[in-house]
Amino acid sequence: VPAGGAATRPCSTRAALQGINKPVIDRIIRVDHAGEYGANRIYAGQMAVLGRSSVGPVIQQMWDQEKDHLKKFNELMVAYRVRPTVLLPFWNVAGFVLGAGSALLGKKGAMACTVAVEESISDHYNNQIRTLMEEDPEKYKELLQVIKQFRDDEWEHHDIGIEHDAEATPAYSVLKTAIQLGCKAAIFLSERI
Amino acid sequence: VRCQHYPPLRALQASAVLRGVSDEHKKEPFTSSSQQQFDPHPAGHQPEQEPQGPHPSYTGQGGQESEDYESEEQLQRRILTAALEFVPEHGWTAEAIAEGAKTLGLSVAAAGMFHSDGSELILHFVSECNAKLSELLEKEQKLVQLGEAEKKPTDEFLRDAVEARLRMLIPYIEKWPQALSVLLLPRNIPSSLSLLTSMIDDIWHYAGDQSTDFNWYTRRAVLTGIYNTTELVMLQDSSPDFEDTWRFLENRVADAMNMSNTASQVQSTGEAVVQGLMGAAVTVSNGGIECLS
Repeated sequence: VPAGGAATRPCSTRAALQGINKPVIDRIIRVDHAGEYGANRIYAGQMAVLGRSSVGPVIQQMWDQEKDHLKKFNELMVAYRVRPTVLLPFWNVAGFVLGAGSALLGKKGAMACTVAVEESISDHYNNQIRTLMEEDPEKYKELLQVIKQFRDDEWEHHDIGIEHDAEATPAYSVLKTAIQLGCKAAIFLSERI
Repeated sequence: VRCQHYPPLRALQASAVLRGVSDEHKKEPFTSSSQQQFDPHPAGHQPEQEPQGPHPSYTGQGGQESEDYESEEQLQRRILTAALEFVPEHGWTAEAIAEGAKTLGLSVAAAGMFHSDGSELILHFVSECNAKLSELLEKEQKLVQLGEAEKKPTDEFLRDAVEARLRMLIPYIEKWPQALSVLLLPRNIPSSLSLLTSMIDDIWHYAGDQSTDFNWYTRRAVLTGIYNTTELVMLQDSSPDFEDTWRFLENRVADAMNMSNTASQVQSTGEAVVQGLMGAAVTVSNGGIECLS
């Protein structure tokens, strides 16, 4: 047992990597990392515009949770030796622009964006949970726990958005569909590139 | 007609044919017509002893495999490993593979399993070197974790890892340019690229890289550049024990470290400048307001 606890991570990597379906886990962690990174940037964009408004604290709280999610995926990424998506710099800008843009439509607009994104993410996490359950629930227990927890958190954000009159946004369904299409494309690309 | 590509024979049949003379299984029922593709040259070579490695026991066409079953892949690897000894003399060619097969007590027709340009031999060699490097780095890491060795600073670690890996080429250095050109054949590029990237990723992993942003790519790109250029320098180097190469390597790694330091310095200077300008703008606008009042 090594003396310094912090040094154990590279050692445990080899153990973590034994016998797992690397291509599948790679994709899952890469796309989830990209998703949380994008979500962070979206909330950052919304805060930039609406930070001082009445929904500021609500957005800040959701943003803080996303920061925790991102931190967890950073750890998983190192543990499983997964490469991040090349598109990160792009999601950096695109996320911020989406957040700020939706916030410029007003508080309801920002909430509508939140609802759309969080619904997409929850669906996506559910798909991943199904995939992992089909593979081997025992082997991927830790990962499954993490994804289930995060899916619940994202669905909570979705509900908060609904509570704050997201559906009252003008052109709500158009906005929602457009954003969800963008999310699907982002997921598709981040899994592969 | 010697066939370069042959349909995947059951290893049983392939091994049996290659052995030329087989002892207790001469009456092995060969049903496959692909036997014709081989031109077995037993060359009167009676294996005095069983070749090293798992003793294959033939259990018939049924497919039930015993524990000593040696897969075709394992056999190929054994042949290629044995062939490496003959590379300095024959180059990365079918001759080297044939010689290797002979030392294992197999027929020289074994070389027919592989491409005549030595692609598989070279790729096998690269993959073996990478595996050796990984083992070496893993061992070093264990020593550091047990407190028996000091953790090296990043530049020293990278330098040592690249040097260790390149030193594995030394016995084959004369024939290495030929190998490089074969690795660059379009057919081989996916494999050679994948071997290169996984080696570089391994080195960074053991160096303690934990980046999860775009740095992941820049670091690997930079190290790949360092590795490739140093390899080319090594091919031209005639200094004792390649000291010129290691000095070149040291300079390139130092350059890379400087680059990253410069980049972060530029960033902090930039931020400071922006703050200065903002302050100036605020002062000016306040001064302007005071003028008006």
